[in-house]
Amino acid sequence: MGTRPDMIFFWVALWSYLAATVGACIYAGTRTPIVRSIVYVITLAGLTSQTVALGVRWAASGHPPVTGPFDYMLLLSWAAVLAFIVMWRMKGLELLTAFAAPVGVLGMGVASLFPSRIEQQLIPALQSYWLWIHVSLAALAEAAFAVSFVAAVMYMIGDWRGWERLPDKETLDMVTYRAIGVGFPLFTIGALLAGAIWANSAWGAPWSWDPKETSSLIVWLVYAIYLHARFVKGWRGVGAARLAVLGFLVTLFTVLGSRFLGGLHSYGA
Amino acid sequence: MGVLGPVPLVVLVPLVLLAAALFLQKFRSWLTSMRTAIWLLVAMAAISMIGALVGQRLPLEAYTERYGDAFGLFLFRSGLTNVFRTWYFAQLGALVVVSTVMCTFRRIVRLVRRPGRRLSATGSLLTHLSIAVIAAAGLVTALAGFKYPAPRYLEAGDMIEVPEGGFSIRVDAARTEFTEDGSLSEYLTDVTVFENGVEVLKRRIEVNHPLNHRGIGVYQYEMLPSSRSIRRAFIGVVVPVPEGAPLHRDITAAPGETVEIEGTDLSLKVLEFLADFTYDIETGTAGLASIRHDNPAVLVELLEAGELVVERWFFMGRHAGHRDDSDLPCRIFFLDYIPDFDNGLTRFEYARQPGTPLLFAGLGILSLGLCLTLWTKRPQGVA
Repeated sequence: MGTRPDMIFFWVALWSYLAATVGACIYAGTRTPIVRSIVYVITLAGLTSQTVALGVRWAASGHPPVTGPFDYMLLLSWAAVLAFIVMWRMKGLELLTAFAAPVGVLGMGVASLFPSRIEQQLIPALQSYWLWIHVSLAALAEAAFAVSFVAAVMYMIGDWRGWERLPDKETLDMVTYRAIGVGFPLFTIGALLAGAIWANSAWGAPWSWDPKETSSLIVWLVYAIYLHARFVKGWRGVGAARLAVLGFLVTLFTVLGSRFLGGLHSYGA
Repeated sequence: MGVLGPVPLVVLVPLVLLAAALFLQKFRSWLTSMRTAIWLLVAMAAISMIGALVGQRLPLEAYTERYGDAFGLFLFRSGLTNVFRTWYFAQLGALVVVSTVMCTFRRIVRLVRRPGRRLSATGSLLTHLSIAVIAAAGLVTALAGFKYPAPRYLEAGDMIEVPEGGFSIRVDAARTEFTEDGSLSEYLTDVTVFENGVEVLKRRIEVNHPLNHRGIGVYQYEMLPSSRSIRRAFIGVVVPVPEGAPLHRDITAAPGETVEIEGTDLSLKVLEFLADFTYDIETGTAGLASIRHDNPAVLVELLEAGELVVERWFFMGRHAGHRDDSDLPCRIFFLDYIPDFDNGLTRFEYARQPGTPLLFAGLGILSLGLCLTLWTKRPQGVA
């Protein structure tokens, strides 16, 4: 990975998140406040380092770091960890927020599988201000879905193994719903609306049933089913949690799937 | 029927009407139920998943090669390889729209009757309404839209009629630009638009910046370097030396430039370039088999002490060295070349998408509706 400054900060962030993940596991077992404080400090250090890595990449490339899978996973995991940090002081979410770091590890781990080179010159198709509107809003939305995923997984674990060591089930259910409630409009605006406007000027049609477009539609439909069922019938519980998990798995497929399925979005595949 | 006479008909018609009314009522309540809406969305997601996983609109061979003969043929015949244009996907879409429109009407009535929670209720209404707008946009484009690439590549000076556009385009320049470090930066095509032979405007077409004229979008689709010119050729020369090691010289020459071969009285000049060389035996002329750079060749003039020795085509790649050049005072190898990106071949894509403004409006309404519904206070579990 070399010794470029962005990569030094990248690895500092990743190792910090790994250390915080270990801390989070210890906290889950002991529930000692001091352990949680240490986890918080380490996670915050990781987030700061990741922020610097993103900033360095932005400065070096001359454009927002939103192109290519490395940058995208870096941005997505940064936004997800940031969301957990924002929720850190919320009552009843002590254990949930302690698990910010594993999300960072997962996102940065996936990012590390892809080339980290900094492209100063964007290819013609990506030379549009819609690039960063489309991609950054989609990343923020998917970060919110990542939060819902963690809460929903905890809900499912509680339903399976009992609730003694977990946050209150209503709280987890509400966090899942709220996170989807934040992410869903952002996803609609960023991935669908901004994406359609950009696609129209770049490819001659706002929608082409490209694999990434289609899988984005599936993400939208899964969360639409979740929200519809919740609004109309007040549906919640383990079924809703399972659907939230499914939604995030489809989201991951959307983020990474175009690399295997080809199509208009597979620029750097 | 004749035996039954008019009386049974008087009974039959109201019965049929009653049955139809009951069926319609049942159908309406089925269509507007939450369970139906969810199953419709699930079905749409499932079909979309097939559309995302199975490559769409490829030739049959692509599927049989990937999935085997039997399964490939099944996918192709069942329409799963063009799933978004099947009758069942269209009918599913229609059901979703009808269901949504009926729910929208119900919501309007509810909104009028219960003025509280107006903001989130309006949001919910807009969200449902937008689905119908988006579907209408799709229908308009499906009925009156098109999108396809131009049939041929064009170079500077070429003219092409835009189908269904009532205008034609002349390419004034087509080039690919690079940064100093060699990274691709832009594809540019300068064009002049003509209507009835009269020049009406000049424009530059780039990726992300199409020409929009008379409802037709002309997009930069592809760009190739020139197939008949290059910037420089790299040529290797091996000159035999009596009772000594042969001289190896690597030279670079721009077309038309005479380059002396150091240490000899030989010189050479690159006269022509063909990206995909072919030879017509009947006419005895060299030409292009295609515009692709599949069989690049240069016509080289070799001079000795200023006198013409030979004028001959030399090939790069797979055809290099296949010919006996023992009659020449040296061996010549066409090693490489810098393509001419300033005089490129450009290809357009034409698109008319009349539903696009409606689609953007629909997506805008959807986004607004969702923000109002989800980002304003709302009691849980209530429609």
